[in-house]
Amino acid sequence: MLRTNVDALVKMAVTGYVSAPTLRRSVYRPDSEGTGRVLIGMAGVVYNARVGDPAFDWAGDHVEPGVSISHPDTEADYAMHYLTCVGNEAVVTSGRAAGAVGVVTGEHARLLVDFEEEILNQLVVGDRITIKAYGRGMRLLGCPGVLVKKAGPRLIENWGLEALPEGRLRVPVVATMPSSILGSGSELFPDFVDHDMMSGDREALAELGIDDLRLGDLVAVTDTDHRYGRGYGPGGVSIGLIMHGDSVMAGHGPGCQEMLVCAEGEIEPVIDPDANLANLLGIR
Amino acid sequence: MIGTNATSLVKISVAGEIDNPRMPPLPATPYLITADGKPIVVPTFGGLVYNVRIGDPALGWQAELIQPGVSVRNQDPNANTALGVYACVGNRVTVTSGAADGATGTVIGKSGRFANQVICDFDPDDLEQMSPGDKVQVQAHGVGLKLDDFPSVDLKSCSPRLLEALNLRVNEDGDLVVPVKGVAPNYLVGAGAGFNPEKSPISLQTSDPEALADSGLTDLRFGDIVAVTDWDSRFSHGFLRGRAAVGVVCQGGSFRSGYGPGMVVFLTAEMNVLRFETSDSANIVELLGLH
Repeated sequence: MLRTNVDALVKMAVTGYVSAPTLRRSVYRPDSEGTGRVLIGMAGVVYNARVGDPAFDWAGDHVEPGVSISHPDTEADYAMHYLTCVGNEAVVTSGRAAGAVGVVTGEHARLLVDFEEEILNQLVVGDRITIKAYGRGMRLLGCPGVLVKKAGPRLIENWGLEALPEGRLRVPVVATMPSSILGSGSELFPDFVDHDMMSGDREALAELGIDDLRLGDLVAVTDTDHRYGRGYGPGGVSIGLIMHGDSVMAGHGPGCQEMLVCAEGEIEPVIDPDANLANLLGIR
Repeated sequence: MIGTNATSLVKISVAGEIDNPRMPPLPATPYLITADGKPIVVPTFGGLVYNVRIGDPALGWQAELIQPGVSVRNQDPNANTALGVYACVGNRVTVTSGAADGATGTVIGKSGRFANQVICDFDPDDLEQMSPGDKVQVQAHGVGLKLDDFPSVDLKSCSPRLLEALNLRVNEDGDLVVPVKGVAPNYLVGAGAGFNPEKSPISLQTSDPEALADSGLTDLRFGDIVAVTDWDSRFSHGFLRGRAAVGVVCQGGSFRSGYGPGMVVFLTAEMNVLRFETSDSANIVELLGLH
């Protein structure tokens, strides 16, 4: 039985607005071999990529599935980022789709929210979305060495986590990977946005069995210390959520956002091909 | 002597000011959080640092990513990007205002996201005369530098002066021999991955002392030349088997997870054209005759 302090958590509203994609006048970005590319996939409403779809092989870059929301006030935007957890409920509170209910599926430069396709078709840039932020401060009472990062209570409860003796925790994941695969985002910390897999060497990813991950997949990254930063730490484990798509740029790739972390090997990953957010939260 | 296109390079001025340390406004926390979750307050990045100089140990300071000597930034963000991209290790810099007006020094490194400075070495007597806000001008020279016979070798932040001082040679196998203090595996690289290598350094993580020792980097010093294997720094910093990046250590150690001494990359190429020759004297203090 997994015991948590869920009854002590505060549930609080934060708000964002459907974002508009932006580009700079110098539109070309070099890919990993130096060819100038025009990139599509970040911000706004992405109609045809949702949680459960492939993370690789889109003709796009950092594809953000579903709806990407942000807040124009910087500090309100930070609050939305820091307080929201994956699996939190999101409600459209203005516009044609008012009243529609979705779910938070990750955090990139904007928060990512999944809605049914008919709702996506009604949303417009600027529509307001209110999130019931819930999960910060969550602890697993029998596993003091395991820190909960951006996994909300609904994900924790539906994941199939299993508390083991001596404070260890068995966590279903679709794959494991070494820390050397993680790149951009190392300068940030695990309570804010994601950490990109470095996909420039696709053969290396194929050899590791991680070149066909899907959006929403939960993965384990070994030899990491992601408790308060994103560093190399022999024996540590970080459980991440693949929440945005691949990138053409060296040092970038599918986003991996921390859900659970430990420094001393308290987390025991177990392979389960169904460990995807779409299944665990009944999204599709 | 390795042939280059140095005679076709343009030498151009970029300028900034000696930077002042910056912190978020209170009541936001002034603390950095260590890898173990402990709050600390220590000097971070650079400005005018009196007692840490290129050639000194890079590790062991009660400081976070400290930058030796003088760190320069331009208040205009676009001009600062040009300063950061154009300045090359080994370029001559001159103080152009204040009590140290006329003092000359040398570009020794760069800092990336969050600091965005160019790091310069000056004589300690000149430091005593300087103040944050004093203007500093760089004679930027090196962008576009190429080797005639090694088209796959990419140079950046590398002045003709540094290239000459490195005294690169071609061995009997036709490989380019590069002097380095140590060779680090790619998994030691942390912050900087994914960023633009024309101005952003990469962190060498020191969380695993054994891996550091295996790489020959235990007594790392500012100015040391270090190689990272299976790493590509042509267009952005990232993992790629069969390539390598070589840089100069220009930022000190870190208490935080994911960070460590920063190195500015000046050469990146396929590993099969490079041969690393380890030497304790592979440091730009000796190579450039800085002090």
